Amino acid sequence: MTARLAYLGPRRATALAALASLAITAALSFGGALAQERELDPRVFEIGRELRCPTCVAESVGESNAAIAREMRTLIQEQLDQGASRPEVLAFFQERYGDWILLNPPMRGVNLLVWTLPWVVVLLSVLFVTRLLRRWRAAADAPVRVDPEDLDRVRSELQEPLGERTSH
Amino acid sequence: MRRLRRLLPVVVIVAGLTSLFLFGLLRGSPDRDIPSNFLGRAVPDFELPVYERYAAEFGPTFSLAEARGRPMVINFWASWCGPCYEEAPHLQRAWERHGDEVLFVGIQTQDRDARAAGRSFIDRFDLTFPNLFDGDSRVSIAYGLFGVPETFFVHADGTLQHKYAGPVTTSILDEQIGALQR
Repeated sequence: MTARLAYLGPRRATALAALASLAITAALSFGGALAQERELDPRVFEIGRELRCPTCVAESVGESNAAIAREMRTLIQEQLDQGASRPEVLAFFQERYGDWILLNPPMRGVNLLVWTLPWVVVLLSVLFVTRLLRRWRAAADAPVRVDPEDLDRVRSELQEPLGERTSH
Repeated sequence: MRRLRRLLPVVVIVAGLTSLFLFGLLRGSPDRDIPSNFLGRAVPDFELPVYERYAAEFGPTFSLAEARGRPMVINFWASWCGPCYEEAPHLQRAWERHGDEVLFVGIQTQDRDARAAGRSFIDRFDLTFPNLFDGDSRVSIAYGLFGVPETFFVHADGTLQHKYAGPVTTSILDEQIGALQR
């Protein structure tokens, strides 16, 4: 092995050794993290996905690897062990952080807008498209009004042999 | 004119969405404006270990329930938090001025296994009010903290008067302590 490493040259051998140690460190830390999470009930992650991580940006407690999110997962596990139900766990966090902590905000007050506004937009869009389609259809069904003089002109021009017409 | 009337709803919708987008961009940090859920209610009790330099005066642990009866300023900080370094001198100065009437308590939180860093933070600013260690961040969760620093101004009966998110300044401290004493 030493001979082979020597064959690779000192630079390559150092790079290879650094790569190997990096891989071992990564494997050990990943394994450690997995071992820690494996102890938790899958329900912890289900509930965690309904809670906003307080110190993160757009991440749930179930997904975040932030220290506070890990601590909150442990707390959820402890509560489940004590027989708490999902709504009870969510209520525990809601009491401390307010509605802000819930990724599915309750349907009351200003939060009602979050739930109703998308449906209102969808309904308005459907009404708009339906009205537009009706208008197009009505326009297509309506007889086309043509000036008789224009019609005669076009007919006569169509009867003329090709090449006889001069350009304007 | 007709075309203008047709375009009006589109213009209104685009203007509305643009305003919403700009509002989202320019409103700063929304979490700072969220009031604590404990406003006007009693803040949760806790018992935490006290840093060694305060042990002679406050004992090895500090219990909030036992300290009730006096207005309190509870400040959450962490050794990795830049704004906490900014506000620490203001807190020490306010404690020196108001310490006879108001109890100041510092809580190092969201800073697992960082007791040594906590000690050097305390020594650096020579903080003389009691500082505690919330190793597992449970008190941080109990108080519904969004981050650090956050400061809670608590009445003598234990109800929360105000929560300030971000680094406190002398003027903020004076104003809130004044309100606690009124």
